[in-house]
Amino acid sequence: MKLNLLTLLPILLLLMLASCEQEYIPIKSGEGPKYVVEGYLEAGEAPFPTYVILTRTFDFFSEIGPDQFNSSFVRNAVVIVSDGEADVVLPEVCLSQLDPAIRKLVAAQFGLNSDTLSIDFCVYVDLLGLVQPEEGRTYTLRIEVDTDVITATTTIPPHVRIDSLRFLPPPGKPNDSLAQLKCFLADPPGVRNFYRYFGSTNGGPYEKSFSTVEEDLFFDGKSFDFQLFNPATTNGNADPDQFGLYFVGDTVTIKWCSIDEAHFDFWNTLEFSNANQGPFASYTRLQSNINGGLGIWGGYSISYYTRVVAY
Amino acid sequence: MLVLGQLCVALSIAQPKFTISGYVKDSQSGETLIGANIYLENQPSTGTVTNTYGFYSLTLQEGSYRLVFSYLGYQSRLESVTLSQSTQVNVSLSSGLAMQEVVVTAKAEEEDDNVQSTSMGRVSLPVDQIKVLPALLGEVDVLKTIQLLPGVSSAGEGSAGFYVRGGGADQNLVLLDEAVVYNSGHFLGFFSVFNADAIKNTTLIKGGIPAVYGGRLSSVLDIQMKEGNNQQFQSEGGIGLISSRLTLEGPIVKDKSSFLISGRRTYGFDLAQPFINKTDFAGTNYFFYDVNAKVNYQFSQKDRVYLSGYFGRDVLNFEQRDRDFRFRLPYGNATATLRWNHLFNDKLFFNLSAIYNDYQFRAGFDQEEFKFSIYSGVRDFNMKLDFDYFPSNDHQIKTGIHGTHHKLTPNIISGSAGDVEFESTTTPKYANEFAVYIQDDWRISPRFRVNLGLRGTLFQQTGPYTSKHTGESFSGGEVVQTYSSLEPRLFMNTSLTEQSSIKAGVTATTQYLHLVSNSSSTLPADVWVPSTEVVKPQRGWQYAAGYFQNFRSNTYEASVEVYYKSLRDQIDYRESFVDNSVDQVEDEFVFGKGRAYGLELFVRKNKGALNGWLGYTLSRTERSFPDIENGRIYPATYDRTHDLSLVSNYNISPRITTGVVFIYATGRTYTSLERLYLIEGQLQTDYGPRNSQRLEPYHRMDVSVTLWPKKKEIRKFNSHWVFSLYNLYNRKNTFFLYTDYETDLTQGTASAKAYKVTIFPVLPSVTWNFKWR
Repeated sequence: MKLNLLTLLPILLLLMLASCEQEYIPIKSGEGPKYVVEGYLEAGEAPFPTYVILTRTFDFFSEIGPDQFNSSFVRNAVVIVSDGEADVVLPEVCLSQLDPAIRKLVAAQFGLNSDTLSIDFCVYVDLLGLVQPEEGRTYTLRIEVDTDVITATTTIPPHVRIDSLRFLPPPGKPNDSLAQLKCFLADPPGVRNFYRYFGSTNGGPYEKSFSTVEEDLFFDGKSFDFQLFNPATTNGNADPDQFGLYFVGDTVTIKWCSIDEAHFDFWNTLEFSNANQGPFASYTRLQSNINGGLGIWGGYSISYYTRVVAY
Repeated sequence: MLVLGQLCVALSIAQPKFTISGYVKDSQSGETLIGANIYLENQPSTGTVTNTYGFYSLTLQEGSYRLVFSYLGYQSRLESVTLSQSTQVNVSLSSGLAMQEVVVTAKAEEEDDNVQSTSMGRVSLPVDQIKVLPALLGEVDVLKTIQLLPGVSSAGEGSAGFYVRGGGADQNLVLLDEAVVYNSGHFLGFFSVFNADAIKNTTLIKGGIPAVYGGRLSSVLDIQMKEGNNQQFQSEGGIGLISSRLTLEGPIVKDKSSFLISGRRTYGFDLAQPFINKTDFAGTNYFFYDVNAKVNYQFSQKDRVYLSGYFGRDVLNFEQRDRDFRFRLPYGNATATLRWNHLFNDKLFFNLSAIYNDYQFRAGFDQEEFKFSIYSGVRDFNMKLDFDYFPSNDHQIKTGIHGTHHKLTPNIISGSAGDVEFESTTTPKYANEFAVYIQDDWRISPRFRVNLGLRGTLFQQTGPYTSKHTGESFSGGEVVQTYSSLEPRLFMNTSLTEQSSIKAGVTATTQYLHLVSNSSSTLPADVWVPSTEVVKPQRGWQYAAGYFQNFRSNTYEASVEVYYKSLRDQIDYRESFVDNSVDQVEDEFVFGKGRAYGLELFVRKNKGALNGWLGYTLSRTERSFPDIENGRIYPATYDRTHDLSLVSNYNISPRITTGVVFIYATGRTYTSLERLYLIEGQLQTDYGPRNSQRLEPYHRMDVSVTLWPKKKEIRKFNSHWVFSLYNLYNRKNTFFLYTDYETDLTQGTASAKAYKVTIFPVLPSVTWNFKWR
């Protein structure tokens, strides 16, 4: 529903034709770096182990190279996940510490190729599966770095599955090599539901479109068909004629997630902030659930749907 | 001797007084002149000015007088009146030939209203003065001209939006023939909705807002439409790069009744249609148009009726047939004003107005079986009863009562996916707003005048409404929430000499309707909301003082004004606001306070071949919200430390007028880009303190040349050309900043760059205008 952007787009395009641009070096107030937390728990089908990536921010105009990346990881922190009954300390794992075969597997889970990777990626991860995320439960995160303490809380909501998926011819001009994906969802009435999705093509990494989250304020309790864009064809390099569409013959997997409100607010503000650039736009501060830093501690309940694109 | 003295006084008191009253008009068109001066030739401090309808009333002792009638840009006129009974004197003034030097017939003290009156921070701009200034793409725009006045700043590059003395864009009361215009911009605010050909007069009140006006904190922009020539039929128009205009006006019954109809439309995309129609975007078009219409009828010397209206729309149609996608975006204002002027007697002028205004915004798209639309708007019914009472020359009393019924529609979304229909839960809100006021412009002595005013207001949010907070339901018309306010207004003028004075004033204002924008300017989709159980009325106090001095027979007027403004219950969006159009916007508001203070210098040359003004403002505008950075005081988006405007017209010869505008302003504030961090492998920005940085200063020079027809020939058909250059020296002023990120995790590299975008380079334009009578 990024309506403002949509309504303004044609007029803005006109303005852009007349405009010129040049690089601008803004002035900063010069405060120091902040902690950044990116941690997730997954419940449901084929859950990924619980993990937390802990880094420090970069200066806005610093040249960021492998050395800066490597030094941005906050090492030797104490990272504790609790479900209210038991505390689990997540061990720190850096790719450089792993056997090459395991390194390749772990890197792939994060969408990285360890053979060509130039940075030593470090993560606090529950490799032993001591945290068993469950729907309906709340999980707290506590991180201790020297004397600093970072905390966060997330809840994994009950999962709402997609009832059915089907591919249809694309809208408008006929094109039998492309397809649109229609999903049928029965949104539970009377409760606020928040959704997020990812897509994978032919077994590749999970990608995301420019808009991955939605809440049911507009369709609470409704059962309806909606179009789900192909993340692979919504990025900046995609052919506009293929925008959001799938290619007939591909095998597509949709990762469909239910999330809680704070988790939704983070992605919603992030995606709005990224989309809301340009004339008239003002900044949007990302709504984080991390106390003592930036980022997200998010719980997912997940289902997967794999289909061959055909109609 | 004492007895004799007392007898003289008694005789003097007993001497009968009579009233001279009437209307002051333009001799050629019969248009009434607003703010014309009427005073005694040998005693200039005894006088008055015409009101909004061109009416004046002056009470004098029995005797013979020579009265001066004067109006800027017109030849003054002397009338000898022997007063032995109350009498009506209607006077027609001739305008100086187009852009010629004004012929001065009256004595030096004429047109010193800015020094003598109690009004502060008030500037009137006759539309003829606006028309010869350079304009963006040749499109004459009253709102862009008022931005050139001290204390007024532009909402952004090319924008017709404006901020007055540190107030928000929604804190300006914009009136067209008394009807509130809720959105005064076309094309995302780049052009105003006011067609200069249909406008008679524009008055901006930024300081001492008299008690007759209310409902906004910062300023009043009062625009009057022309009434139409009641002497002869005439047409005028023009062809420009952006739009073309045509105005028809003339008498229905000569001297009694006239009409005016004026239209304007853009056509850039219409011309491109043959090319667009050959593409997949066939049917895509954008245009805007305005229609102004007015009729008036003078039933008798005591009764006149005016009916005026405005209708304007922006229409954007976007079609992409190869994706079966259609998008429609119409929005605009409609207003209608019916007014009845009645003279109960030569001292009591009465006006009854019935006003309707409606702002609508709609947007919708559909693709195959999916449809989506959004609607918002404001609709008012307004009744006003106003009296102007002239009991003596020492008092001019205005009193009245106003009542408005508001319907404010927030974003209401509806959509469908096949047979399944969706609708947002938001519903329109209703409110009644009442005001009663009285003000007296009181000349306590020839050197000391005060304007005392009091405005009482009552605002009621009414049902149907269901409270989200208490769950209580209210039926239609039932009062949900009531707010009231007493707003004192006091302005004083002490004349130091006949050419100089000191003024001071205090103004209390209350605002019950609010528009909060998440953008750096206001956009057509921004929603007006009423005061409710959640949203309190905005309240403001303004204190101002100034020194006013005229020089060289009023050829020059100059003023220095200082102001301090305190604002309570200001509204903004929370910093993590996402405009998803589904939520009630009130739930996203945060509330705080503000203050603004500044110093304004203004020098205007009114006469001669070279005229114009220089305005400079030194100011500070701050806001503080407990929910934004724990109440840290920060400069508002529209804070400008320095703001300078130079405006000049020079009549090189009877056939050539040049216009020059130069603007310099401190750069706009923005929120600093402090840090970067990775989320899901993509860079995000962590912003620093709000509005903690500034863009580079904004400056620009525009020039124009107007070529008039040969002076000697008085022809039925006349035309003139206006050539403009906007941004003469091609200054690259920043329109907006954007950031671009690149991340390659595999290579371990990332970068963020900010870019500034400039949209208006040096832009030439040409406009051809004509007049036929």
